[in-house]
Amino acid sequence: MSALRHSLVAAALVGITQSAAADNLDFVVPFAAGGATDIVARSFEPIFSEQLGVTSVIRNVAGASATVGTAEVAKSEGNPNIIGYEPAGALSIQPSLKDLPYGPESFTYVCRTVSNPMFLMVSKDSDIDSIDQLIEESREYPFLYGSSGPGTLPHLAMAALTVKSDLQAQHVPYSGSGPAMNALAGNEIQIMADTETILENYDLKPLAVFAEQRVEGYEDVPTFKELGMQDLEFSVWQGVVAPKGISQERADAFADACRATVESDRFKTFADKSGVSIDYLGPEDFKDFVARRVEVNQQVLKDAGLTE
Amino acid sequence: MDIVLAAAADAFTWQALLAIVVGTWAGIIIGGLPGLGSVVGLTIFLPFTFGMDVITSMALLIGVYCGSVYGGSITAILINTPGTPQAAATTFDGYPMTQQGRVGEALGWATFASFFGGVLSCVMLIVGAPQLAKFAVNFGSIEVFALVCLAMLCIVGVSRGSTLKGILCGMMGFLFSMVGSDPITGADRFTFGQYALSSGLTLIPVVVGAFALSEIFVRFASRDDEAARIPEARLTFPGLRDIGRRMVELLRGSFIGGFIGALPGTGAAAAAFISYASAQKLSPRRQHLGKGEPDGLIASESSNNAVTGSSFIPTLALGIPGDVVTAMMMGAMVIHGITPGVRLMADQAQTVYALFVVLIIVNVAMLILSKPSIGLFRYLFKLPQGFVMGGIVMFSFIGAVSVRGNPLDLIVAAVTGLLAYVLRRGGYPLAPLVIGMVLGPELESSLRRGLLISRGDFSAFFTHSTIASVLFVLIALFIAGTLWSGFSQWRKDRAAAGTPAA
Repeated sequence: MSALRHSLVAAALVGITQSAAADNLDFVVPFAAGGATDIVARSFEPIFSEQLGVTSVIRNVAGASATVGTAEVAKSEGNPNIIGYEPAGALSIQPSLKDLPYGPESFTYVCRTVSNPMFLMVSKDSDIDSIDQLIEESREYPFLYGSSGPGTLPHLAMAALTVKSDLQAQHVPYSGSGPAMNALAGNEIQIMADTETILENYDLKPLAVFAEQRVEGYEDVPTFKELGMQDLEFSVWQGVVAPKGISQERADAFADACRATVESDRFKTFADKSGVSIDYLGPEDFKDFVARRVEVNQQVLKDAGLTE
Repeated sequence: MDIVLAAAADAFTWQALLAIVVGTWAGIIIGGLPGLGSVVGLTIFLPFTFGMDVITSMALLIGVYCGSVYGGSITAILINTPGTPQAAATTFDGYPMTQQGRVGEALGWATFASFFGGVLSCVMLIVGAPQLAKFAVNFGSIEVFALVCLAMLCIVGVSRGSTLKGILCGMMGFLFSMVGSDPITGADRFTFGQYALSSGLTLIPVVVGAFALSEIFVRFASRDDEAARIPEARLTFPGLRDIGRRMVELLRGSFIGGFIGALPGTGAAAAAFISYASAQKLSPRRQHLGKGEPDGLIASESSNNAVTGSSFIPTLALGIPGDVVTAMMMGAMVIHGITPGVRLMADQAQTVYALFVVLIIVNVAMLILSKPSIGLFRYLFKLPQGFVMGGIVMFSFIGAVSVRGNPLDLIVAAVTGLLAYVLRRGGYPLAPLVIGMVLGPELESSLRRGLLISRGDFSAFFTHSTIASVLFVLIALFIAGTLWSGFSQWRKDRAAAGTPAA
């Protein structure tokens, strides 16, 4: 039985070293390490904690379209030592799609950090050059559009477009942008909505942009509004949230640190290199922004028949 | 030529070489510890690369990746517990060899086959990346579905004893993989209303439970101290004549791994199972497979390491990461301002060539470092048994939870461990359970995507493309062959049973 005793001693030792780190800031990233959001979060975190004057530890809590990690933040009500680096989907789509243990009101909103508008794109070899032509040809034979998963922004943007225009297209979800791009290269799908990063990396042809104004560097790509389709603005954004119930003082400290971080040269250099656009919103603006997005997305899900 | 020399100069800096040695060695150790695999290893090392230049950081990460795929074989051979899911097929022949006292030979073959597969896949990457990438693009959902079906058939091959029990375990693994979010609609299913289950069951906790924990339970339960003793690790490299004799096996395993690595979304664990199944059909020594035959080890280890090099094919040629590991590598490239994508080969040729050189050095480093690494495991396993077993349990749980930081995974590992113990007692093979878990998600989503694409017409699958048709014919041949040999065996048995009575 001595074997068992040794095992228990070893296990107890591990337990002690684990509990020593109590007062650190718990920095939750609701994605697996190494993903696109994770990399932005990992560049954000050291500057943020420097500004705040604390030691922080990144914790990747992945799964179920980032809702597991987000729920981890939401359920820590009143805990001033936890924040989450959140993607758009977990805050503004998933709560309307699924029964989750959190909602938009479960958080103290700190800031929006980055935001990139989405483009509608087709393969470079495609002979389609405009949205009108795309819609025209889809009448003869409906197209297939890909996405990085059901209920993601690429899915929602396209679903909204099929509702608001005469485009005939059906959704085929993949497990991430990479596999979807593989399918586009093999002509399994014909259309994809995603950000500039994807557009540049895979050398695709943009037909229109889901934004209010034309995007710098893509001046010849029209917006949907110009094409006569209203309310088709979708962007991929990220932001920082804390659980609700923390003191106003702490919330202000978080907001100041976030602002200083996105304005720092280090973060700007990183953003330039990795193709994300810094687009800061303060606590109040961010809160209103999320509330509006939740409303818009809810309507899209309903119109597209994805929820009742 | 200038650019190749310049690239080699980039790779032969002391920083890069140091990164390779540290990365590869750490990778072997991390891979060898049950539960900690390639992804965990890369997660640990990723933050260190932020301050390095691009070649050094890729050298470190590639070292960790290749080292961990090889390292998984060490514990698979020594204690019947694959250090990583990729090494699950290594236990089939590796552990029986250990039980027969051929530890040195087994580790020697595993090391050499890993090296051989790794180098051959580097060659495939360097020579054929653009062509292979173009071919891989032809593998759409329907072709992948056919390939996964073919791979699923290897369940029959690895369920020693009872095919029926094997199929049952395979279905159980498949069912496990379906818990969580539906891949097409996103709705929750099989969660029994528990929010914790909506993120699904993942591979590592199940593998850790099925192999590592159940092995510990078996060892604790057995009153025979001699059987529970871990043999001393040794390393005896195979002789040149032996290598020559098994060259066909080495080449087949490496090519299968190299090819499967080039397809996005399959991975090293699937490659090892497919390669093992092919050895069961084609090896001249196939009747000994599963009883401690080096050919089985070669099939598994050469193919899983051949995935390491070729998994960079879709990443470098198209910017499409083939699996989680290459996705992380791509992330590391982005941090250093290199954007993987269709133009990478043209825009960043020197960096890409330097990566090729690094890959080859990493495989050589793996061969050299195998001896001290195995020495370290020998030392570790000399500790009192309780510490070794306790340590394995501890690392298993750390590995299970560190994949995505979800406490549910601890429970999954523990429950799977108990379930696996009961299954082993009942003579159910566990490999099919893992195969079901590995291939299940891809089987389901490729089938359902295929149906969306063919607009609900399954019969269109068979004529969708030449590749799909060929794969479906292979499946039909495999099933017919298996049924035929089963039938003739049955006739022979009946004749044998009939003769004495008559």
